[in-house]
Amino acid sequence: MIRTYSLNSRLLFLTFFFTFSLNLFAQTDGEQIFKTNCISCHTIGGGRLIGPDLEGVTAKRNADWLKQWINSSSDFIASGDADAIAIFEEYNKVAMTSFYFEDEDMDALLAYMENPPIEEKEVATTTAENDKGMSSSTILLLIAVFLFLLVYILTSIKNKLKTQLNQPTETLSETIINQGKAFLAESRNVAIVGFAVFIIVMKFTFDTLMGVGVTTNYQPEQPIAFSHKIHAGDNGIDCNYCHSSARSSKTSGIPSANVCMNCHANITSGTNTGTAEIQKIYDAIGYDPDTRTYIEGYEQQPIKWVRIHNLPDFAYFNHSQHVTVGKLECQECHGPVQEMDVVKQESLMTMGWCINCHRETEVKMEGNDYYTSMHEKMKEKYAGQKITVDKMGGLECGKCHY
Amino acid sequence: MIKAILKIGFFVAVIFLAACSGDSNPGYEFMPNMYRSPSMETYGENNINGMNALTPVKGTVARGKLKTFNYDKTLEGYLNAGNMAVNPMENTDENLADGKSLYGMFCKHCHGKTGTGDGTMRHAIYSAVPHYNDEKTIRRSGTPMSELTSGHIFHAITYGLNAMGPHASQITEEERWKIVLYVQEELQHYGLE
Repeated sequence: MIRTYSLNSRLLFLTFFFTFSLNLFAQTDGEQIFKTNCISCHTIGGGRLIGPDLEGVTAKRNADWLKQWINSSSDFIASGDADAIAIFEEYNKVAMTSFYFEDEDMDALLAYMENPPIEEKEVATTTAENDKGMSSSTILLLIAVFLFLLVYILTSIKNKLKTQLNQPTETLSETIINQGKAFLAESRNVAIVGFAVFIIVMKFTFDTLMGVGVTTNYQPEQPIAFSHKIHAGDNGIDCNYCHSSARSSKTSGIPSANVCMNCHANITSGTNTGTAEIQKIYDAIGYDPDTRTYIEGYEQQPIKWVRIHNLPDFAYFNHSQHVTVGKLECQECHGPVQEMDVVKQESLMTMGWCINCHRETEVKMEGNDYYTSMHEKMKEKYAGQKITVDKMGGLECGKCHY
Repeated sequence: MIKAILKIGFFVAVIFLAACSGDSNPGYEFMPNMYRSPSMETYGENNINGMNALTPVKGTVARGKLKTFNYDKTLEGYLNAGNMAVNPMENTDENLADGKSLYGMFCKHCHGKTGTGDGTMRHAIYSAVPHYNDEKTIRRSGTPMSELTSGHIFHAITYGLNAMGPHASQITEEERWKIVLYVQEELQHYGLE
């Protein structure tokens, strides 16, 4: 009796297992097909994109209608189906790709669209990447607090002993002042303290003067919390994509909002900040993310980015000269921007820093036919030496200051 | 004992004060009126009409920006361009190399190194980027991706298509034709016989 029971249950389990796993396969196939073909123009429950939101579409249209539409919407429209023509008109006569799926793929896709998985909202995880131990100033502050406590404890012990001996007690501040006076009463100590103060004042003065006009580590807050790490690092977008004039002009180019919209017309929610920061682009350019259309007659606002790298006006610098002709990587001057959530100035950008690079960088002479004869002459003149930028006038004052 | 502690405390306090420095402030400038001359900076503000970054005056053409591709941003324009537009770029090694490097800057993160949608973009939308070597599905052009003509591709770069945005503001016409050349020569038949 027991045996039969267990056999039955096993059979039951197997049946369940098979039905379940078959469903599972159908599900993944449909999902796969949706993700590799449909997702760039349609969402399920995420609102209108290029085409309509497909939530509940399998209830609205029958399977046959959908199959005809997906396989070749243009043929279907040509056949004169009223619903098909209405949709074609509604979406600005944008024809959908004709997919011609195999029957089983189509069934899997329709099954997936009928029962899409409930989207799990991704919880923004706050990564504690910055907690790489305590900063030196925190450690110093802790030491200071510890020392102060020690002074306090020792003073109170001293006072207790004095009460035992019936001597007058001192408050904490009195102790500190008296001890300080006693310390400075010795001329040797005055010399030591005086010397220390002198060194500190000199160092402070020197640093302040050397820091005038040097903005290294400048990291201002920008009007939009744009992360270069997400765009250039994680998603691998080339610097030139947004800073497209660096190749051909003096300035590297701050992308106007239409460049942001090349991606953000579709991506309305960001990795770190959700919709809040991307909404600022829409506010600037006048875009409605719900209907995915630009608002007509909108008064556009500039996005006032804060300039970080700024040479004084008496120094001339040209990006195209360095990027296109000199073939330098952006990172050589700007540091690893693709790893920065908030950009800061990495280099010194002082004259000495420019000059140093001009002294060390070799001129790239290959594939530059225009200057062949000039390059030959230079190779003759500086035979056996590295031909660096300074050898072709890279240190002339008038090159940068005029 | 207390003396020694006071001594150490004094130095600690001094070093602590010296170590404080803010990064949100650019610091001092030596001669501000030489650093910032009255001439207008490229992306600066001015008190005449606000922004220095402006669109060209109506009816003018910037040097090197003469438009030779005169098809509209419509389905008709797309189909006409596909039928008629001819790529003026000759198929030379130099043009192909330029095209490849420009493709790397402006296309690769979505379309991928091999043009089969294997880009580095992580958002779900980019998992359905069409493959240039797709021979099966019929696109808006009436042809599969592998048979798109140079005019189709140029029109798509210029005005955008579906989820792709218009790239005319970032890439000049000449550069766009070089990209078209590279896509047609290297990617449309990638891995095909």
